[in-house]
Amino acid sequence: MHSNRFAGLLVLVALLTPILPAQAQEMDHSMHMNHNMPMGDSLVWRMAPMDGMTMPMMPGMMDDIPDVGAFLPGFGMDVSMYPEAKPSEIIDMADGDTLHMDASLVRRTIDGREYVMMAYGGMYPGPLIRADRGSKVIVEFTNNIDMPTTVHWHGLRLDNAFDGIPGLTQDPVETGESFTYELKFPDTGMYWYHPHMREDVQQDLGLYGNMLVDPTEEDYYAPVNREVPLILDDILVDANGLFPYGEEAPTHALMGRFGNVMLVNGISDYNLDIQAGEVVRFYLTNVANTRTFNVTFDGARIKVIADDVSKLEREQFVSSVIIAPAERYIVDVYFDEARTYDITNSIQAIDHFRGIFVPETHQLGTVTASGQASEDNAEAFAEARTNEDTIADIDNFRRYFDKAPDHNLRLTIETKDLHPMTMRMMEVDTLYFPPIEWNEGMPMMNWLSTGEEARWTLLDEDTGKKSMEINWQWEVGDKVKIRIFNDPSSFHPMNHPFHVHGQRFVITHIDGVENRNMAWKDTAIIPVGSTIDILVDVTNPGKWMAHCHIAEHLHAGMMLGFEVFEQGAGPQAGR
Amino acid sequence: MTRKFPLYVGSLLLLSIAVLASPTLDADSSPAEATPECSLVSSPDYYEIDLVTTRKVSGARLAKGKGEVTYAASPFGISVSEEGSYLVNIDVSMSNVRLDDDKVLVAWVTTPQLDQIKALGTLDENLQVTGQTDFNKFLLVVTLEPRDKEPGAMWTGPVVSRGMSRSGLMHTMAGHGPFESEPCAVYGY
Repeated sequence: MHSNRFAGLLVLVALLTPILPAQAQEMDHSMHMNHNMPMGDSLVWRMAPMDGMTMPMMPGMMDDIPDVGAFLPGFGMDVSMYPEAKPSEIIDMADGDTLHMDASLVRRTIDGREYVMMAYGGMYPGPLIRADRGSKVIVEFTNNIDMPTTVHWHGLRLDNAFDGIPGLTQDPVETGESFTYELKFPDTGMYWYHPHMREDVQQDLGLYGNMLVDPTEEDYYAPVNREVPLILDDILVDANGLFPYGEEAPTHALMGRFGNVMLVNGISDYNLDIQAGEVVRFYLTNVANTRTFNVTFDGARIKVIADDVSKLEREQFVSSVIIAPAERYIVDVYFDEARTYDITNSIQAIDHFRGIFVPETHQLGTVTASGQASEDNAEAFAEARTNEDTIADIDNFRRYFDKAPDHNLRLTIETKDLHPMTMRMMEVDTLYFPPIEWNEGMPMMNWLSTGEEARWTLLDEDTGKKSMEINWQWEVGDKVKIRIFNDPSSFHPMNHPFHVHGQRFVITHIDGVENRNMAWKDTAIIPVGSTIDILVDVTNPGKWMAHCHIAEHLHAGMMLGFEVFEQGAGPQAGR
Repeated sequence: MTRKFPLYVGSLLLLSIAVLASPTLDADSSPAEATPECSLVSSPDYYEIDLVTTRKVSGARLAKGKGEVTYAASPFGISVSEEGSYLVNIDVSMSNVRLDDDKVLVAWVTTPQLDQIKALGTLDENLQVTGQTDFNKFLLVVTLEPRDKEPGAMWTGPVVSRGMSRSGLMHTMAGHGPFESEPCAVYGY
């Protein structure tokens, strides 16, 4: 029966589709321009960009639009009325300091075109908050955008009341209102802050920034010539400007919203000038809605020294850096030659129509090395340090690594009223799902899927509860093992970056193989078909969330709750 | 067909008895021991490669085998090359094989176009070997080779078993229809 359906579809396509050359070609969307905005006071949908798609438009899809309204901030307004955003600044904060910061609509220029976007503190990215480990600071936040919002301080093990989760830790901050966040920094490393309401819109439009927590110990990291934060992002635009978002619910719910313009620190033409021979420490943060990057530095040697929340047990040389949405990595890169180095995203994209891998390289920026470095850190760079402090910290937890899982979680998806052609195509193209979806293989079907039609699900295999039905209950001091299985038999299996609020964890095993170089994390990528075991160090009381950090998946339901009680105060005995 | 049927069944029964009675080399079959919970998780079934015998090699006509795929060690959880190809470990294991003393099994990976070939290694006395590859799509091939020679640039002996990576199964209507870019039917897919 399945083969008859496949054969029938094959005949239908052969009869109805014009022969196309084998090479990818631009899709002609001129017939859709009558769907352009504006129409009166309403923003209407236009065809989404289909960059590089080789698959011909399927019958019955050509005039389809998502089953939600279209939305853009500042729609219909003169873009020049918004203040121009300025590049990010570093805000050094001492213990007890207060920062006043707002979220507002701004004017941004990307690739020579102006857009209405959003910014923290009027900056892109938002101001880099720099503080010492152990310090506490205050952020007085005011919402000046035209949507309710909150601010989540990603990766910080701060007090629950300030975690920024609407309906759980606080009410939404409405337009014109304010909220005071108290931040504390118990862990050295790079963190970031972003909204926790309609992240698919607000974060994508520029509401993100870093927090750099400096060590208080001498010689915590090896010496380098300079330190540079790099925030990786992408944005979806077309000839008419920013591509609209779903108003009532996110579009692009199946795969997440891939952008077609790469951004580093908010710009598309990032360049760093250095001296040849320098070792540069990059603090990488991925704030894209869904894109996982494979970052390379054009042959320059790369050494990974730290992960989300801690240094690695052992520094490690790598040929590229894989970084999923919401993850951070600290890497030292040695630029020994005087030349221009390309920073790229190098992937093996999948052309679903032809069933082949296609190498793609996306330019992210450049590093221009000239002259000669005044300070030689090459010798320090050549050494891959063993971080005894990280090892000693993790030693306290090793006896729990082989325990039975406390929770078994399956990542899957439920669908309702998806476009019939999407359903048919997904049933046909099921022979292979890659571990990581590096590119948007089916842009039309992705765009048409909304968060109401594609409900991404976290399934507790022990209780049968799904997503926000789940409310795990732990106590401070618990060492909780969660086994996460990304089900390849689901309707559309895809990688998910799994994020736990307020606590830290280590990855103990990947597909049954022990992880032999650990670091503390708050976000872990779960590839398709894989089983990842994490051990959570439960230290922070309160009501928290865990969720997929693909923005569209989060808002399509892929989240769960857990509550941490003080030791001895929980409804269940500590484990 | 009716007259041939009893003959067919009888032959099958005889063959089954012969197979069950013959000594074979098996992969390690030591008794199961109590294992940590983590080791109850194995490599992803989804990407596992089923090794299918070619039935051409004496002593291995009923061989079974598989290639279990896991990611090479990496600080990122998964491992890819600089160009973005997955870097994976393949644990090859075979069973139901009877070899002459001067022969060994060697595992190889090759692209579907057979234009790149890499030896994963010689299977040990337990008929196991682990190797690594970054081919996007690949065939896993096990061949019969002389014991006294190191594997060269490609196999010299007959193919005992072969299987395709999960990624190699990625074919769409374009792969088979008017937009065919890979003549996969030519090599059997």
